[in-house]
This record gives sequence, C-alpha cells and structure tokens, in this order.
Amino acid sequence: MSKEIWVWAEQRQGRLMPVSLELLGKGQELSRKLGGKVAAVLMGAEVRELAAELLEHGCEKVYVAEDPILSLYQSGPYGNLLAGYIEESKPEIVLWGATSVGGELAAWVAARLRTGLTAHCIDLYIDDIKGKPQLVQVVPGWGGNLALKIVCDTTPQMATVKPGVMAEAPRTKAQGEILPLAVEIKGGDFRAETIEIVEEELEERPLEEAKIVVAGGWGLNSLGSFELVGELAKVLGGAVGGTRPALDKGWITESSLIGQSGKTVSPDLFISLGASGAAQFTTGFEKAKVILAVEQNPQAPIFEIADIGIVGDLKSILPLLIQELKKGL
Amino acid sequence: MALNIVVCIKQVPDPEHFSKVSLDPVTKTISREGIPAIINPLDKNALEEGLRIKEKFSAKVAVITMGPPQARRALEEALAMGADEAFLLCDKAFAAADTLGTACALAPGIQKIGHFDLVLCGNETVDSGTGQVGPQIAQFLNIPYLTKVKEIAFDEERTLIVKRGLEQGYMRVRVKLPALLAVNKEINKPRLTTAFGIIAAAEKEIKAFDCRELGVDPNDVGISGSPTRVVETFQRVSQRRREVIYGSPEEAVKKTTERLKEFGALVQ
Amino acid sequence: MNFDLTRQQEMLRDTVRQFADSELAPRALELDERGEFPFDIVKRTGEMGLIGIMTPKEYGGTEMGHLARMVAIEEISRVYPPLGFFFQTCHLGHYSIQNWGTEEQKTKYLPSLCKGEKIICDAITEASGGSDPTTTQTTAQLDGNEFVINGRKVYITLAGVADLACILAKTDDKFNTILVEKGTPGFEIVRRENIAGFSTMPVNELAFTNCRVPKTNLIGQEGRGLGIGLTTISVIGRTGVAGIGLGIARGCYEAALKFAKERKLYGKPITELQAIQFALVDINVDIEAAKWVSYYAAWQIDQGKDLRAIGPDIARAKLVSCELANRVAPKAVQIMGAYGVSEEYHIVRRLKDALQLFPAAGTQEIMKATIGRSIMA
Repeated sequence: MSKEIWVWAEQRQGRLMPVSLELLGKGQELSRKLGGKVAAVLMGAEVRELAAELLEHGCEKVYVAEDPILSLYQSGPYGNLLAGYIEESKPEIVLWGATSVGGELAAWVAARLRTGLTAHCIDLYIDDIKGKPQLVQVVPGWGGNLALKIVCDTTPQMATVKPGVMAEAPRTKAQGEILPLAVEIKGGDFRAETIEIVEEELEERPLEEAKIVVAGGWGLNSLGSFELVGELAKVLGGAVGGTRPALDKGWITESSLIGQSGKTVSPDLFISLGASGAAQFTTGFEKAKVILAVEQNPQAPIFEIADIGIVGDLKSILPLLIQELKKGL
Repeated sequence: MALNIVVCIKQVPDPEHFSKVSLDPVTKTISREGIPAIINPLDKNALEEGLRIKEKFSAKVAVITMGPPQARRALEEALAMGADEAFLLCDKAFAAADTLGTACALAPGIQKIGHFDLVLCGNETVDSGTGQVGPQIAQFLNIPYLTKVKEIAFDEERTLIVKRGLEQGYMRVRVKLPALLAVNKEINKPRLTTAFGIIAAAEKEIKAFDCRELGVDPNDVGISGSPTRVVETFQRVSQRRREVIYGSPEEAVKKTTERLKEFGALVQ
Repeated sequence: MNFDLTRQQEMLRDTVRQFADSELAPRALELDERGEFPFDIVKRTGEMGLIGIMTPKEYGGTEMGHLARMVAIEEISRVYPPLGFFFQTCHLGHYSIQNWGTEEQKTKYLPSLCKGEKIICDAITEASGGSDPTTTQTTAQLDGNEFVINGRKVYITLAGVADLACILAKTDDKFNTILVEKGTPGFEIVRRENIAGFSTMPVNELAFTNCRVPKTNLIGQEGRGLGIGLTTISVIGRTGVAGIGLGIARGCYEAALKFAKERKLYGKPITELQAIQFALVDINVDIEAAKWVSYYAAWQIDQGKDLRAIGPDIARAKLVSCELANRVAPKAVQIMGAYGVSEEYHIVRRLKDALQLFPAAGTQEIMKATIGRSIMA
C-alpha cells in the first residue's frame, strides 16, 4: 500500500474551514518529496459538495464519513472514528488545522494512538533524518528568529498548523476520487454532546481580514493606557491587536490576541508598538508585507524581523506618528 | 452533592519578564535566569472556577502539578488561594516531556489522588501554548472533555451545560461528569490570595509522588515517553529590510512615514 | 543568620503588592482629590485578613506577626500611603485590647475591628503636647460603676470615622486607658484638623464633657494606662511608621526610576547621565539600609524579645525610615522635574505624606533620646 498524507478537512455549519485548503497545499508539497497520495478526511451530515471542493483543489482522495449525527462536531464520536480510520489505513502523516476544534481533536487522537503531535507549526518539509525520510516540523523558539526543528519517531507523524500560515492549494481540474468510510457510532460516546453552535457576529471586522493591523505590547504600560493604539488604528483604518501581556493587562480581548495562542494575521502593514518580539507574538504576523516596530530597547528581537524599526519612547513618538499619518492620508 | 475537583496547574516563567529571556549564542539553550516563576495565568482561572463551584456546592478542590522540586511554590500559592490539597509529581524521569509524556504522568497522578468528578485546567500555558495536555489527559482517563471553556453551568446533579468558544461564537455542550474542562480567560477573574488563605494553607499538606510511587513505567514519561524530539535549534533568516531609525522623535516619524509610502504600505 | 522572609510572609508580600497595584493604584489619585475616607477599601483589606494581621486567630485575626504587618504596610504605602497610615493607627487600639483587654472586650470588639466593619482610634495627645503624656489633663473620675470623663484630645487620627476611641485619662493621679464608644453622651468630635498629607485620613479634635462610660471599659489594670499607651505607641506605632516610610520611599524611587528610563535628554535616556544614575543609586542603597534596620526591629518583636530591651532598635527603625521617606521623596521630585511637582502626579502628595511621619508615634528627637539613653548607659 502506498504511503498517504492525510489532511483533516474540518467543516463547520456545512462550510469548509479555509485552513483545510491551506493544509492541502502543504500536503501536496510534502507528497512530491515523500511520494504517495494526499487524502482528506471529511466528516459531517451531507458533505459531498465539500468533498468536490477538495478535489477541485487537487486532493487525490477524499474519505467521507457521512451521518446525520456527525452534523455538529461531537468530540467523542469524531475522535473515536478518526482514530479508527487512522489505525486502519495507517497514513504516514496527518495534518490538522489548529482551529478551536481541530486543536483538541488532534491532541486527543494523538493520545489515543500514542503518537507525537507538534502544535502550531510554521513550516513543514520532508528531510532525511538518519537515512530515513521524515517530516520535519518547524516551530518558533523563544525570541527573534529562533526556531526549532522537531521530528516524531512514531507514526503517524502529526502536526497542527494555525489558519493563515500556509498558502491555499490552487484550483485545478478535479481528478481524485471520493471514498465513503463506514460510520459505526452505535453505542458511541456522547458523554459530551454538542447541543448547538451559536454564531456571533463580530463587533469589529475580524483581525485576519484587516489590511493594516496595529498591535500593542507590555511597553504601552508607560503610557498608562492602550488608547493611542486604537487611535492610530482608526487613523489608518486598521484593526487593533495585542500581545499576551496586553491581554493579561485587560487592554485587549481574547479575540484580538496575536501570536502562538492567538491569531495569525497577514496584513499589508503590521505595526508593533512596545513589544519586545517574543516568538509567541511574532509568529502571529510573519506573513505581513511590511512590519513597522516601535520599541524602546534597541536590543529587542523585534527589530530583527521588522522592515522599519524606531528605537524610542512611545510616549513621544506615538502622538507624532498619529499626527503625521493623519496629514498624509 | 459532593464533588471532587482536581485542578492541573503548571509553573511557568512570568510573561511580564519575557524580554529578559536570553539565548546562549553557543549552546542555543534558553536562559531563564532571573525570571520569576508564576502559576500559568489560565490555570489560575481553572482554580478559580473550581473554588467557585466549591462555594456554590460542596466540593473538595485538589491541585496537581508535574515539575521540579521548586514547583512546590506554585502549589503553596494554590493552597493559599483556597485549594484543599496539593500533589506534586516530581521525578527526574519526568523531565523534558512533550505533551504526551506530560499527560502520561498527570493522568495516573489524578487517579492516585482518588475519586474525581471534574478535572479543570487552563486551556494552554504561556510558555509552550500547545493546549494539548488537557485533551490528552482526558483520553488517558477515558473521560469526556472540552477545551476553550468560557462558561460552566450545572444542569442536573452530574450534568453540566458548557459554553466553549469558537472562532466566531460558541458551542453549547451537555457533558456528563466525570469530565475534563480546559478553561479560557473569559470564564472568570481569579481572586487574590488573602492572609486568611495563607495561614490556612500552612495547615495543608503537599504530597509528592515519584515515578515509582505513581506506578508509572519510566519509559512512558519524560523524555523517553515523548515521541517528538527537537533535532535542531536554528536562527531563521529574516527577509526583512531591518532598517532601524534613531534620532529625535520628529525626525524618526518623518522618515518612517516616507518609508511606509515608498513601500506602498499605506494604500488601503 | 537567615534574611529570607518565610514563605508565608513572601506570599503575603506578593498578594498585597498585587492588591495595591490592581485595586489601589487606579484609585489613588481620585481618593486623594476627594479626600473622603475609603470605607470600601478598608472593608476589603479586612476581608483579606490584613487589618487583623497581628491579632490572634480566635478573635478574627490572621496572627501573621509584626514583620508580616510591616511588609504589608510597606507594600500598601508604596502605592497609597494613607491606607498604610490607617493600618498603623487603628492597630494601636487593636494591640491595646488584645494585649491588656478583658476576654469580654476582646470578643466584643476585635472581630468587627479585624473585619474593618468597626474602626478604632487611639487618643492620647492633648494640647499640652504629644511626646510627654504625663501632662495629660483629661480626667476620668470614678462615680460608682462609671467613669466620668472630661477633657479634650487633639490631632487624633481616624477619630472622625471611628466607632470606638481608646483614650488615656487620669483618675486622681493614676493613668487609665479607657474605651469610649461613639455616640456616648458627652463625647463629641469638635472639628477636623487641617493637615497636610494622608488626605483621606481624618485627624480630629475630641471633647469629653461629663461623658459616662461603664467601669468595665477600663483596659488593663487600674493605674497602668501610661505603660499601656507608651508600649503600644513604641511597638505598634513606630514599626507601623517605619513600614510607611519604607513604602513611600519605594513608591517614589520606582516612579523616579521609571521616569528616568523613559525621559530623554539630548537623545539619550537621562539614566545615562551619571548625575541621575548616582542619585538613583543613592536612593536604592538608602532604601536597602533602612529596610534591614526596620525588618530587624519587627523580627525581634516576633521572636518574643523583651520589648524594653529592643526599644532602641524599634526607635532606630522609625528614625531611619522616616528620614528615608523625607530624603527620597524630594529627590524623586527633583529627578522628575516638572512632573515631580505636578498635582496630577503622585509624588508631590507623597512628599506631604512623608512629612506627617515626623511627629507620628514620637518625634525624631524622642527616638534619639531613646537610643541615646541606651548608648550612654
């Protein structure tokens, strides 16, 4: 049996999560080096249309588990079914989108299969490790541009990737096949039973869609407030984000957190104010076209990843910057 | 209803001092010297939720951590916040574990405490942030679980209705105890320790277990129980222009604006 | 020698620091400006077990001792010294009751005092002077089972908000410490003194006119009032003032340091100017020195040492920390330039607070006299 690379294709409310297509793109890249086929696993009530969408993005096989009971994400049956499918088909690699659902499901399945799982990878590639082709999983280390290469000694080799990190698989002529999977959920595990999904309109435009993002960190403490960050964002028509310490300070909400445990954004312009540049934060905006950083400490690692850096005091610079940009627009 | 609640906590470096984390240029290892250790912030939310449940119903709240001997300090603080008992899983064999190796120690640790109805933990830690340990503990304990929990309500005596966060909105889930819930920051605001809590904590015992006492095979935990391993630490090459501007604020701002226009970054 | 705080004291320090930063700091300016007594904050510190920090557990306290008390007062005063002053003042009354009071007085008063539901003031000073209570003119004549109190007390901190006063009065030629509850006929608050510093803590003048209280309100044995008053002031008052002094100094130092790191002159932070650097180093060293003198005094009380023997050590603590606050606050003002004197900033207020430490719990000269006696002997 040829090697397979699996992508867990998450659907929610009948829509494919965009990260699934991003993983598909990376999966295709990996399969060119590793050989074998790229397959997606899709679960839900009626998901044939979504399966077709995956095929149109170059997926070679789409395994489909259809049952009305799977319409909403149910952690018990989803986990058990997936673990069973993986045990049976033995894919070499499984990729998961690190969504609010995908992250927990991947972790649970990894434990069930007693295999490794690397969270929030920023790059994935195949390399020979001790004479054997293996999946190299790159995750951010502490500070600046430091990164770690991780490999997994058990199979399948599994990794999660946050939405927005990888490029979407391009559209192509659908050539693959759709294969149904058996859905055995009699006496299934419904000890945790999803009752409903409530979608809430976001008050602001989602951070991920903004062309300009202005984010603040711990250094804003010297100003005593986060107000000017909002003002700068307003002047530029951008969105506001922040670091983990900014969240802990109560300046931003969870939905505006940028970085490893928050959101990944790729705006045209990212402005970082008063953040030293810990990797937990910087991995959240690596794909930004232009990065401007204002920070007091000239040694801060943020300057290593910025296009333009201003070393200086936010208290004097921020009002001037707002004033100047107001003029220019 | 008398619930037994176990809260998993972890001692982490204080994020307010993250800028002091330095990298040894030769060994590429991280130096955390001089960085104070705190209880992982979300784990405090988990403990707070446990204490609130205890205040509403009758419950016993135990805290558990896996870590070096100094992790005892985190437990002392948790006891002062109001936890009833504390357990430290401490053994050289536990060191350098990935999430699977960590869950492999914590799950038997929780069972060692005795009967439990609810396991609470923070959704993720500030130092590694994977969010994987909670679900993996649940798998090993064979109990249902939920992550990103932002609200817990009791439906029936042993059934909870839980709101768990999604990218946009939330999911409502009915979950039967025993279960594991990994909580988000929105769930509550952790209390401050009080002097009453501190003196009460002095009467409480911290029990420590090593690998043998847990009855765990050393090959299942720590570095030997971790399927993932770091093969290399490296500096990524930055493609950025890395132009740093010094000088008076006026000059710096002027030059910056010019550059931003050059790069076309201000076009909306 | 072990200079480490115990784990309990350390946890207390951390939590009081968090409390001060998260709950006091955001309100400090507004409280100062309004000048109203912060009842809600006092209740909150009661709930946290801070008011009862040296009171036995059976009376609602947390019994963490005198060093813990000093550390707590220091952390509070670092952010909001008037609240530190509240602690040092009300603890005078608590100490008198818990040390010399009857079982009935302890059970009646201490639990609500520890909770911050009731407040007590200590009334010794009279117009004739505060440093020498032997000149006390207020009288408490026995009439059957009652004391009949007549006289006036001045500069009594917290009297305006207190539910209970612990006063020193003369019965014939003997001194007695007597509790007087608010609302007792013949006991009135005459006025609020206009005093610089600790703006939210009322300082008042009291008048007693044929004020009758039951004889059971006597604290300690008859005729022991002077000893009770003086011991309380020297043990509780002086260590409390030392804690406030340390706190004011640290608050000013931290503000000046932060300012100096951010303030630029000729394109460089002013911390790179040696004049500023050395000024900050001087403050830093000054604080460390005063801290250990003060902690040592409080630690000795916790060790149960003879209070008379350690009197000079306690006097040193008050002397040094009061001087410290009054040296550091003006230096911080200087480093911070115009910000230092801005009423919208904290520092100028701390300067006034520091001044109040001079007369509190015995003047600097009294401290020197106490130390002098011990070294000349």
